[in-house]
Amino acid sequence: MTITQSDLETVRSAVGSVKDPEYPDLTINQLGILENVVIDASSIRVDLVPTILGCPALGIIEEDVKAAARGLGHEVAVRFCRSPVWTPDRISEDAQQILANEYTIAITPRSGRTQCPVCGTTSLEKRSDVGPTACRSVHWCANCRNPIEVVRSREASDQ
Amino acid sequence: MVPSQEAHKLVLSFADDELCVGQNHSWWIAIGPFLEEDLAFTSIAQDELGHARALYSLLSDDIDQLAYGRDHSEYRSAHITEFLCHDWSSALVRHVLHDMAEQVRWSALTNSSWTELGNTAQRALAEENFHLQHGLSLLRRLLSSDEGRKRLEPVVLELAPYGREYFADSDQELMDNGLLTVSMADQERIWVDQVLEVFDEFNITVDMSEETQGSGRSGIRSNDFATLHDEMTAVIQIDPHAQW
Repeated sequence: MTITQSDLETVRSAVGSVKDPEYPDLTINQLGILENVVIDASSIRVDLVPTILGCPALGIIEEDVKAAARGLGHEVAVRFCRSPVWTPDRISEDAQQILANEYTIAITPRSGRTQCPVCGTTSLEKRSDVGPTACRSVHWCANCRNPIEVVRSREASDQ
Repeated sequence: MVPSQEAHKLVLSFADDELCVGQNHSWWIAIGPFLEEDLAFTSIAQDELGHARALYSLLSDDIDQLAYGRDHSEYRSAHITEFLCHDWSSALVRHVLHDMAEQVRWSALTNSSWTELGNTAQRALAEENFHLQHGLSLLRRLLSSDEGRKRLEPVVLELAPYGREYFADSDQELMDNGLLTVSMADQERIWVDQVLEVFDEFNITVDMSEETQGSGRSGIRSNDFATLHDEMTAVIQIDPHAQW
């Protein structure tokens, strides 16, 4: 069976809609985990970028991606890429809003101080290097007095 | 494709180091000295095991066989990574020494001529800053107190010289073909200088002049390895075909 460009598009859209096991409101596309869907040796390959190498959810995501493609009649191979390196700014704007509003999770910006997702000030004080998952630290907002989680940037400058 | 036998050895040494340290760190799950440290240490264990997985997968598709299925003499882990460190002070000191070495070792690989290895190194290095920042800030706080210093100083003096074994792989061929961009001797020098500098802040003089004490790279295991290996292979020994 020849794979067409439209097959690739349909598969991309289906696997992109796979939910992240840790954030069931968000898709792997929104989180910047889906890198590419390509034809490799006359079959379809899905390239994913792991948030961290030791992420325990990788196996679940791989199975969910394969199942999503299978639902369309396609068997796909899944590859976890070492390059590019995942960074928090791969999370889409709309997903960052959902993380802020629904989970009180902030993203470390490329420059400047991290904003509290509740009150918008930059009054965050770090309380713990690690929170419920390895990629988030726990802060306290001195202004609105809420506990806030921050997705750690690669430079760990989540202060 | 693994470019050469020497490249295979280098990656296996690094992977085995990460596996042993990750497994050893994981023993502190739920019994860390305080909640935040428990979470941080556990996460670092998870990262190190992830690094082991990434390195093993460069060598073979059957990473469980590599991680758990070899004869003890086929492991290449440095002895400092095998020590059980059942006291928190030694676990913390080993964590810092190991992560300082990791920074140097990954940095020597980021521009490797073996692209997949270079990409893995860049990916791993991005996770390492946090480890070192975390370990050093805790170590510095504890060394500033009398009780902390009393308990940490002897451990530092005992463990630090073992770290030289991290750099005991042969490197001539790897340097010649650009697989490694900083020689083992230079990596060792950078690491030793950094270690001396950190402890010099607290007037602790570490004697690094002794010959490398471990011999893990040549297949000789430390006394602690058997216990460590039994623990990490407990499930696979009961059910070799278990899926998880």
